[in-house]
Amino acid sequence: MGNRSGKTEVGDVSRWIWVAILGVFPALMFVAYRTVKLEVWWVILAIIYVTNILFAALTLRSLRQLKVSRDLLTTNAVEAEEKRAKEEALIRSLGEGIVVTDKNGDVELINHQAEQMIGWNLDEVVGKKWYQVAPLLDESGRVIPSRDRATQKVFETGKPVYSSVNYYVRRDGSKFPVGTTASPVVIDGKTVGVIAVFRDITKEKEIDRAKTEFVSLASHQLRTPLSAIKWYAEMLANGDAGPLNQEQSEFVKCLYQSNERMVELVNSLLSISRLEMGKIKIEPVPTKLGEMVTVVLKDLEPKILAKKQKVEVKIGEDVPEIKVDPKLVSQVYLNLLSNAVKYTPEGGKITVEVAKQGQEIVSQVADTGYGIPQEDQKRLFERFFRASNAQKNDTEGTGLGLYLVKAIIEACHGTIRFESEENKGTTFWFTLPVI
Amino acid sequence: MKTEKLLVMVVEDEQLLLKAVETKLEKTGKQVIKCESAEEALVKLKTMQKLPDVIWLDYYLKDMNGLEFMTKLKANANWAEIPVVVVSNSASTEKVSQMMALGVKKYLLKAESRLDELMTVLDEVHRTGKGAGNK
Repeated sequence: MGNRSGKTEVGDVSRWIWVAILGVFPALMFVAYRTVKLEVWWVILAIIYVTNILFAALTLRSLRQLKVSRDLLTTNAVEAEEKRAKEEALIRSLGEGIVVTDKNGDVELINHQAEQMIGWNLDEVVGKKWYQVAPLLDESGRVIPSRDRATQKVFETGKPVYSSVNYYVRRDGSKFPVGTTASPVVIDGKTVGVIAVFRDITKEKEIDRAKTEFVSLASHQLRTPLSAIKWYAEMLANGDAGPLNQEQSEFVKCLYQSNERMVELVNSLLSISRLEMGKIKIEPVPTKLGEMVTVVLKDLEPKILAKKQKVEVKIGEDVPEIKVDPKLVSQVYLNLLSNAVKYTPEGGKITVEVAKQGQEIVSQVADTGYGIPQEDQKRLFERFFRASNAQKNDTEGTGLGLYLVKAIIEACHGTIRFESEENKGTTFWFTLPVI
Repeated sequence: MKTEKLLVMVVEDEQLLLKAVETKLEKTGKQVIKCESAEEALVKLKTMQKLPDVIWLDYYLKDMNGLEFMTKLKANANWAEIPVVVVSNSASTEKVSQMMALGVKKYLLKAESRLDELMTVLDEVHRTGKGAGNK
């Protein structure tokens, strides 16, 4: 605002000067020429004097305006500086760590809290790549490549990216679990950098772990009474306490079966809690997946025969032995295949294919069964979730089977997806890396 | 063919389960020695006239865990040959491999094993357990 009227003032002054030079002065010269007589020199002098005063006044005015403009500029600069200092103080004093990078990932700013958390000072890291200053590790200690970090993903999605499963490595080599929110910095519609807020989430992880340990402990404790019921129901049904009549037999059978459900549920809870606590030390052993599939199918044979279902197995010839934990991957095939059997009507078809695709082994389990309703599909892998048509076909399901499958596959660094159409069938695909 | 009854020592601290196992063992024509703690088992082993043919061992006992018990068992020349079947409700791969390494013949989960199956296992383990030539 000060600037603009300053310009107009200067414009005014120059206009006046030109008017004086081109108009007033020649006019005065003309008048002087016409009236030059000795007696009128005083007139000329008076004219010169007046002209000078005019110019002086104009100059003075423009100088004053210049001063005003400059003062305004200084005040504005001081205000802007104060504002900037205040904003910087805000960022600096924030209780969470902040890092700002440009679009190349070079650090522009970190605040005090960030310095405390990672052990580096701002001047030591400014201009360096953030992913090198603070390396990110996953649960098993592997370095996460820069393209998979929240601060990079932000460029792809253009939206805030959250992450709370990894660890930052401090200057001294120690690590801490970090919860990060990274967002793009957008100026005039262009992404010019990233600002990420992060915090040490050790406490949250401890609480989560305590919860999982509780589930594990409770589940273990449950096994004792469940075993007792199993054995006594078994002995009753077997006539070990005397023969039973028809009705008594039926009742005991129900007791036994209900108890078996609880045992299954407890098993699933324990598997899940062990996975979440990282206690299932994935013990990879060179494994032939084809053989594993055969064993699992043998287990399911009675049910398959009872439902007169057809099973087709295709194992690629080039599928190598891969290092996986056989118990875990067996569980994956078992869950997917027993689902296929459960949710496919009599006479239906189930196919299993295992093939090598690049650096991955892709396994496919397909059925011609009831399918999964569209509206249930996005929740399929949730704990305890059962699709609306699942209850009819298997009243005993726990809703944990697919959650466990997904957790296992992801722990093995693989991926899983599916496609399904109601009353047509479902196909699951999962990958495992070749190692 | 064995004409004497199989003598099974059951080491299990849960009363309820101990009773069930004893019942089934007797129903299938076996003799039972019950122990509610590892100490009791060790004392009985020292004093009993005839050593058991098979030991049924729970992993978590009040006074000792399965590993310690196995170590003590194997340390005694008289007892080292007795086949042991672990029937427990916790079975991490670590525990199982450690116990198998100490000479346990089978490691089974209580909640997943029927009593009639366990009886068969005991017979089998006894048959194949005592040295060569026994089939």
